[in-house]
Amino acid sequence: MSSPPSQAALRRLAVTRRIIYLLVAIAVAVPTLSDLACDFKPSPWAEKVFKKVESLKPGSPILLSFDFDPAAMEELHPMGLALLRHCFKNDLHPILMTHWPSGVGISKQIIEKAAKERGKVSGKDYVFLGFKPGDYNLILNMGESLQGAFDKDFYKQPTQGMPALEGVRSLKDIPLVIDLAAGTAIEMWIAYGRDRFGFDLGAGCTAVITPDLYPFLSSGQLIGVLGGLRGAADYETLLKRPDRATKGMQAQSSTHVLIILLILGANVHYLSRRMGAYAKG
Amino acid sequence: MAAPQETTSRSRRTVELVVLAVLFVAFAGASAAGKRPANAPDDWWVTRLGVVIAAGLTLIMYSFLYRDNPLFKMAENLFVGVALGYGVILTWRQSLKPEIIDPLFIDPPHLHAFWMELARRSAPIVLGALLLTRISRRAGWLSRYSYTLMVGWGAGLSIPITIHTYVLQQLKPSLGLVSKVLGDAPAGQQASFWSTALPVLGDLIILAGIVSVLFYFFFSVEHKGAGSFVSQLGIWFLMVSFGASFGNTVMGRVSLLIGRMRFLLHDWLGLGP
Repeated sequence: MSSPPSQAALRRLAVTRRIIYLLVAIAVAVPTLSDLACDFKPSPWAEKVFKKVESLKPGSPILLSFDFDPAAMEELHPMGLALLRHCFKNDLHPILMTHWPSGVGISKQIIEKAAKERGKVSGKDYVFLGFKPGDYNLILNMGESLQGAFDKDFYKQPTQGMPALEGVRSLKDIPLVIDLAAGTAIEMWIAYGRDRFGFDLGAGCTAVITPDLYPFLSSGQLIGVLGGLRGAADYETLLKRPDRATKGMQAQSSTHVLIILLILGANVHYLSRRMGAYAKG
Repeated sequence: MAAPQETTSRSRRTVELVVLAVLFVAFAGASAAGKRPANAPDDWWVTRLGVVIAAGLTLIMYSFLYRDNPLFKMAENLFVGVALGYGVILTWRQSLKPEIIDPLFIDPPHLHAFWMELARRSAPIVLGALLLTRISRRAGWLSRYSYTLMVGWGAGLSIPITIHTYVLQQLKPSLGLVSKVLGDAPAGQQASFWSTALPVLGDLIILAGIVSVLFYFFFSVEHKGAGSFVSQLGIWFLMVSFGASFGNTVMGRVSLLIGRMRFLLHDWLGLGP
């Protein structure tokens, strides 16, 4: 049985930990302050989402569901902004909603910023539906009647007869839905929305949940996925409008290199100690 | 006379307090140094005050990396309190007010509309109110009616959908190999060796992964001989999957740090491009 670590070893560990924190802080701060460009090729899954949006005709509706709150803002805010900029650039009619009550403020901020840049008007060029409780029941309800599920938009304007919703009665009339989520909302959209009403579904999510979505890509239930800050940077690159996410990739890369070096260094140190102990017998 | 260890601890505490005082002065100085832009709106000071408070709280939260401390505890409790208060306000503004108060008492133009809305919304209102009886020992049983409906409704909806989405639809890529081997090439297309071989290899790996991982969790047969090999292969597939998840988690956490760092350097200190 191994003996418990000594006080000196614990103190050394605490100091080492703080040095690692300091190194990570430097690895993030230096690229954030510098103006270096980071060159990278967008992932094929991001390209598929981009091409799908690109293939829609001007005036087509596209539903965006922003199911996240400020805790996931760093990854999903730039993604949402890039998507909406793309929609407005191609004169699409985005319909924005959220399943998270705490996501209303951030969704409103993003769509109003993107709309202002292009001079788009609420109700005419886009619709912000806001939040409604119900989760999957709401999706099923929207599949029956969009105007029945949301009789008014966020700004209290009746959705019936709204120019931006012309020709849209339910989810069946929407060719593409993109869900940006920090939780399990994407799987909910797949199960209760895409598989039931047949629209194409794209996804954007935090890096943590990206691997959980890979099975849905190979089965074709998702057309593509934007994963984390990298996914947002991919979309900004495809849109040829680099912004926050693209700038963040330099810091992301330097930190990853540091973490890899630390893992390698720790393993080499551990192995050399084991081999030393083995040699001593 | 104080013990040597006690003296060391006291002197360390004194050094920490001095460092904290210096940091506070540096924070106040950096916050005060923020210049007002030429075209800033009138309420710029309000926004600046918010930035300074957010920067202070961010630094206090990161102070935990050095050691647990009273300032961190204060910020932690403040966060819990603010989140709870924000949650209550959100529930009121986003759910209760637009779904119950506005349609029943604010929006209806006449009495008939009120009764129509009440008829539409009475069942959800009653079922929602019954959930609140959980707080009473005597009336708590009433909440079971709401839970019964929620569980029944949820199970009835989700069981067929789950089988369709997570089993039947997922069988398609798992059996991709079969369709590629048995299926005909599209007319007029001459597929190259590599364009056929690589997807088939991918499908083979998927198939091997599914079978071996399922076998690893199959305990009715002892894992020895060939079974042991398949089981070990399953562990390898699981390890690769956990590695991918861990790598993505690191990426996600680093993104959050980048966001905070950018906030501190750009928004608070006004540094960088």
